Amino acid sequence: MHNELILAGFGGQGVLLIGKLLAYAGMKAGLEVTWMPAYGPEMRGGTCNCTVVLSDRQVGSPVTNRPHGAIVLNLQSIDKFEPLVRPGGILVVNTSLINRPAVRTDLIVVPVAANQIALEAGSAKAANMVALGAFLGASGVVSPDLVRDVLAETFAGRQKIVQLNQVCLSKGFEIGQAYAPAMAGR
Amino acid sequence: MAKKLMKGCEAIGEAAIQCGCRLFFGYPITPQNEIPEYMSARMPQVGGVFVQAESEVAASNMLYGAAGAGRRCFTSSSSPGISLMQEGISYLAGAELPVVIVNIMRAGPGLGGILPSQSDYLQATKGGGHGDYRVLVLAPSTVQEAADLTMEAFDLADKYRNPVMILGDGLIGQMMEPVEFKRRIEPEDLPEKPWATTGAVGRGPNIVNSLYLRAEDLEQHNLALGAKYRAMEAEVRHETYRTDDDPDVLIVAYGTVARIARTSIDNLREKGLKVGLFRPVTLFPYPAAALAAAAARAKHVLVAELSMGQMVEDVRAVVAGRVPVDFFGRCGGMVMTAEELAEQAEKLLAVPA
Amino acid sequence: MPTPLIDVDRCKGCELCVFACPERVLEMSPNINAKGYFFPDVARVEDCTGCRYCLLVCPDTAVQVENKGKTTVRTDGLTETPTTYCPGCTHGVIHRLVGEVIAEMGVRQQTVGVAPVGCSVLAYDFFNCDMQQASHGRAMAVATGIKRGRPDLVVFTYQGDGDLASIGMAETVHAANRGEKITVIFVNNAIYGMTGGQMAPTTLPGQIATTCPTGRDVALAGYPIRVVEMLATLRTPAYLARVSVHEPKAIMNAKKAIRKAFKFQIDKTCFSLIEVVSTCPTGWGQQPHEACEWLEEHMLPYFPLGDVKAPEAAH
Repeated sequence: MHNELILAGFGGQGVLLIGKLLAYAGMKAGLEVTWMPAYGPEMRGGTCNCTVVLSDRQVGSPVTNRPHGAIVLNLQSIDKFEPLVRPGGILVVNTSLINRPAVRTDLIVVPVAANQIALEAGSAKAANMVALGAFLGASGVVSPDLVRDVLAETFAGRQKIVQLNQVCLSKGFEIGQAYAPAMAGR
Repeated sequence: MAKKLMKGCEAIGEAAIQCGCRLFFGYPITPQNEIPEYMSARMPQVGGVFVQAESEVAASNMLYGAAGAGRRCFTSSSSPGISLMQEGISYLAGAELPVVIVNIMRAGPGLGGILPSQSDYLQATKGGGHGDYRVLVLAPSTVQEAADLTMEAFDLADKYRNPVMILGDGLIGQMMEPVEFKRRIEPEDLPEKPWATTGAVGRGPNIVNSLYLRAEDLEQHNLALGAKYRAMEAEVRHETYRTDDDPDVLIVAYGTVARIARTSIDNLREKGLKVGLFRPVTLFPYPAAALAAAAARAKHVLVAELSMGQMVEDVRAVVAGRVPVDFFGRCGGMVMTAEELAEQAEKLLAVPA
Repeated sequence: MPTPLIDVDRCKGCELCVFACPERVLEMSPNINAKGYFFPDVARVEDCTGCRYCLLVCPDTAVQVENKGKTTVRTDGLTETPTTYCPGCTHGVIHRLVGEVIAEMGVRQQTVGVAPVGCSVLAYDFFNCDMQQASHGRAMAVATGIKRGRPDLVVFTYQGDGDLASIGMAETVHAANRGEKITVIFVNNAIYGMTGGQMAPTTLPGQIATTCPTGRDVALAGYPIRVVEMLATLRTPAYLARVSVHEPKAIMNAKKAIRKAFKFQIDKTCFSLIEVVSTCPTGWGQQPHEACEWLEEHMLPYFPLGDVKAPEAAH
């Protein structure tokens, strides 16, 4: 098991956070993990991304230009990262902010209206959780229960936030699961 | 203590605290700002001191004062800032003061860029500032190692009364990995430093100094320092990966590149190619004997760095022409991929040695 | 009957004591001491009033005064080592004042001094306390490190005008601005002494130096920097004063200011900096006593004496 994932969006959409949650959950699952933020010039213009590697062996490079999957929350991010994902990989697309379909036909594309779903659940700020949930549902890299635990630890004492995020994670997860069978044998 | 997911920079800062350091002096520069930021929050919690210096020059000299007063202290910076600190580092080496200096390298020369690089190898391992001196250089490859080596750095600094440098790059500094702090030392448990300027009670004045106006005296000082640097060779450390079967290509890499090389090697091994890794952990002193032995059993040596080729000079000196030494580098902040590096190794195997 | 006692072998023959004595008790001897210097003889002991002016102006602690059965003693704030300063250089006087203050205040054994680069680079040989030698201009950064590491210590720097006001100006401004609880002794002699008389940031307009051979041209080099006035513009509380050591009364005032500066540190009140207007007979190309007169005539109008800033708590 070795997964290199890119999570990308606007600054403020919480892509670094869902990357950390994923890495933390991976760690709890006993995997080797790295989380690496892009801190270079690509940060200019308000976009933001990080790379998470989850593996059952020591992680080599913490950066990748051939990820096994990507979560893209805005248009710039799908433009930039869709071409890089390995064939057969998962691409979670936030259709709330991305007004074009994915071009690649060799990917498992998971469209999810993350902002709308999060808004309905209480706040559009939790759109990142919907997207992460969708990715977990489709990929099964780590159990959503672990991410729920990590959420509770990260936002200890802020019950409302924990609840909202857990709800959004679950909603995304359900959507993602519909794409999971296609992953069989990976 | 349970494992925590931490950035390399934060792990370095926490490691310093865990081993009894209560003084940090530094100046902001990307990509290591997480260290001063972390220290500014953590030091007050443990009764420590954080000073944002007016410059790196000042920071390195604040270290001089604090170390001269017998305290564990450290600073961190990135390449251009480390250049400014060279004044202080030379004086620290001359006055034999134990400090830890963290360089989270970025690409140069000049202002360069803020992305990862290994282009300060020569500066770090050959002295860096003026005068005949060396600092111990440790190159972590993971966040856990960044923490472990930082803790060791303080001990080595005290053991040899010498500056010790942690040489990382933007990847090591910015990356989060699980980390565990394996021991904790309180400042009051650290041994006294009888040479330090703590107040001349019951003894004559202690003087912290690097000035020797008589050539005879300075030569003696240089000789003593030289002997000390040779004694440091007891600390050489390296790591190998998949070298048990005497690989045809021995990749030599440190820090971030070494972990990239592991992936390359795994991929090449799947293809049935015999490739292994030699990774120096101490860059000064250099694990020369171990490298010479490993290289002698290979057909090719391939040095991979995020630079135009700096460590390769040391590798060539060690291998001394017995095996061909090739170099592959990316620079300017570009990070080589495992595929690129594997391709370079494969090319060597295609050519008869 | 009061009597000056001359330690002939410490004397460098500067004659400052001869000129300082109001009663003309001293006269230069025709003989030389072991170092090859002429030294003062007590020629008219009957005229001595015991005023100690000779002791005060001596840069080499070569004079003590016996009066009413008591003899002054050399402070143990200084080591026995003779200084390496030129004859008549007032660095020696300032050393003595600092040494006396730390000894008299009872803090010698908890004091760490920081020596600069410049004429006083070897100050660590002369002060009888723990010392650190700093790189050029960084004494206050080093002092910051010491003081933050061991707040219980009394930390002072001893710096010249090139060290403090040129290469080390950033460290100066920022140590003052952070309000480091240290004491800075700033020796302003309007020239670079050790390197052979080059222009300093405090060289006076028109003053000749080896790098302004026709005199400091303010159109090219700007005006001399008034360090204490400049630092006084910082909002952070501080004790900032300018004193001089060109004559006995000024020297007594200088010691009072230095004592105050250490007191403010010991009481954890504030940063303190004492600018000591000083002579450089060698760099100025003058006899030591002429240099003192030149200082009074030329430097003091530009660098007025007195407290420039005191911490609010003191008022």
